[in-house]
Amino acid sequence: MGAARAKPALRDEGARLGFRLTLPAQILVLFISAFPLLMQLYISVTDWSPLSGLGWWNAWEMWNSFANYTDLAADARFWSALKRTALVMIVCVPAEFLLGLGLATLFADDFPGKRIFYSILLMPMMVVPAVAGYMFFMLFQSGGPVNDILSAITGTSVTIAWLSEPTLALIAVMIADIWQWTPLMFLILLAGLVGVPEDQIKAATLLGANPWQRFVTIALPKMKTIIIIALAIRVIENFKIFDTLYIMTGGGPGVATETISVYIYKVTTQDLIWGYVAAIALAILIVLSIVAVFAIKRMARARQVAA
Amino acid sequence: MSAIQLRNLTKTFGDFTALKTMDLDIADGEFMALLGPSGCGKSTTMNMIAGMEEPTSGRIMFGKRDMAGVPMGRRGVGFVFQNYAIFTHMTVRQNLAYGPRMRGGAKAEIDRRVGAIGELLQLTALLDRKADRLSVNILQRVAIGRSAIMEPAIFLLDEPLSNVDAAFRAVMRTELKQLQRQFRQTMVYVTHDQLEAMTMADRIAVMDHGVLQQVGTPLEVYNNPANVFVARFIGAPGMNLLHGKPAESDRGLVIDLGPLGITPPLPDELAAYLRGARGDMLYGFRPEQVALAQDGRGLAMPVTFVERIGARTIVHLGQGDGAVKAVFDNDVGLSIGQTAVVAPAASSVRIFDAASGVAMKAG
Repeated sequence: MGAARAKPALRDEGARLGFRLTLPAQILVLFISAFPLLMQLYISVTDWSPLSGLGWWNAWEMWNSFANYTDLAADARFWSALKRTALVMIVCVPAEFLLGLGLATLFADDFPGKRIFYSILLMPMMVVPAVAGYMFFMLFQSGGPVNDILSAITGTSVTIAWLSEPTLALIAVMIADIWQWTPLMFLILLAGLVGVPEDQIKAATLLGANPWQRFVTIALPKMKTIIIIALAIRVIENFKIFDTLYIMTGGGPGVATETISVYIYKVTTQDLIWGYVAAIALAILIVLSIVAVFAIKRMARARQVAA
Repeated sequence: MSAIQLRNLTKTFGDFTALKTMDLDIADGEFMALLGPSGCGKSTTMNMIAGMEEPTSGRIMFGKRDMAGVPMGRRGVGFVFQNYAIFTHMTVRQNLAYGPRMRGGAKAEIDRRVGAIGELLQLTALLDRKADRLSVNILQRVAIGRSAIMEPAIFLLDEPLSNVDAAFRAVMRTELKQLQRQFRQTMVYVTHDQLEAMTMADRIAVMDHGVLQQVGTPLEVYNNPANVFVARFIGAPGMNLLHGKPAESDRGLVIDLGPLGITPPLPDELAAYLRGARGDMLYGFRPEQVALAQDGRGLAMPVTFVERIGARTIVHLGQGDGAVKAVFDNDVGLSIGQTAVVAPAASSVRIFDAASGVAMKAG
């Protein structure tokens, strides 16, 4: 074998080695994303369920010509769950954002006891959501601490049935979500706020800007990227709200607090129509993907501007 | 009337005294450089003038107005930061308009002022550019323009050229000096680079370890340093200082340098002042004001090193406490190991008290 031929051979060798080395990872990616997605797509056009006695690969025998999707379009419970999920998101994410931003602004300066408050503030985030759900379930009992406090304030005996009243139950669920996830917002926004160049803040001060003007004209624009990231994370996560809520209300009373995740869970475990579940899940995946793509695009643009 | 008066200004951080009872008068329209090594208190002084830091004690007056308790946004000072602190998320126009906009000026009036200042600083073509990718001299102009639009009576500049590479610094110095002539404002310029201070300033305040050492025109601090620190700090290389005692000789009063022999006679005025003085002295002279003694009357010292840097030649002589440097305009043909007899120009000789370091001079 001559030296002249050794080089291309070596390059082929390298490419083949690279392929072999990345093969396990590629198979893994295939199995965790592409395969379930295709399987879901496949099942979503059938009436298949685990009780049908067929293996899922034989689901084509139960082909129902897109009936799941036409059913979905007409499913009032699905649409009301979707609207409710959107409502929870529209209330919770901005509330968490504003509270987090306010707290971050407070914590950007020094004050006595800051470290202790900081630790306390981050704690809700570390509580297991199921536990948080149970905590709020207890808090909002008609004989629970929330009513006790309200009684003490108003001076009359308050016995509100929080979790059995449709509107109040939804409010209670929102409060729990805000309690648990404001700290994450706070943490991300604080990181962004600390990263604002101090000399630019000083320069703005010397030019006569008051604290509010400095915040709006310097700090907020500099934090744009991180704000988009924080909002994107919370929008996507909040859309999937489940554990806390399910433990507090189970989606009830009736379907008053039923969000998309709770609805899917119920259809999956109670009604057992898996072909239909697959159709719902795909529809939601498409919605969430649009949000994510939009956020990533904005982020890339913001980063370009900031660089 | 002076634009800025510092009276007994002191700043301490815990046990550390950053600035010690500083008194300084800066005249209206003057370009004053605060010069000193890092940690000398020059930036602290500047930050207190700007209101970014509160003095521990002492007073700062702008004209007749005491600045105690006046917040930094209301002092009417323009401040140019070391890295310019340009708002990178805005355009040049938005940067220039920032101050007036925050004060709530009318839109048309702001536009007019931005246009005028842009014209003056030759930024007109760049007004709508994003400020994040501008070259450093443009950044400097934007930084100055952004402050100048507020028409501050006082401009403070914090080492604005320290991030600029050496080749470009000369250009920036010229530009900055021209800008000052245009605006005719009082400028306080903090720097550790004596070349910047010497070339641009009307007067220089030399500082060290929180203490003001000397205030004077560039030539005053160069020719008549008030003490040993200033003598060594100003000039590149700094002043030569040799230990000795005054002694009478047949040619007049000289300094006995011990093993190095005796110096040429001191000028009459200095001799008259020093006659009768006792104790150790430092005999100082500028490296640039040394000649090779043709008659052999001077200090005979071994050549230890020769630096040839084109236009000038720096000759290192002697060792340890007795080491001096001599700068010649042309290559004097000395080489290591030879003995050179050097004579400082009589008019350039300065004598310092060895114990206190203070210059001894007649009058």
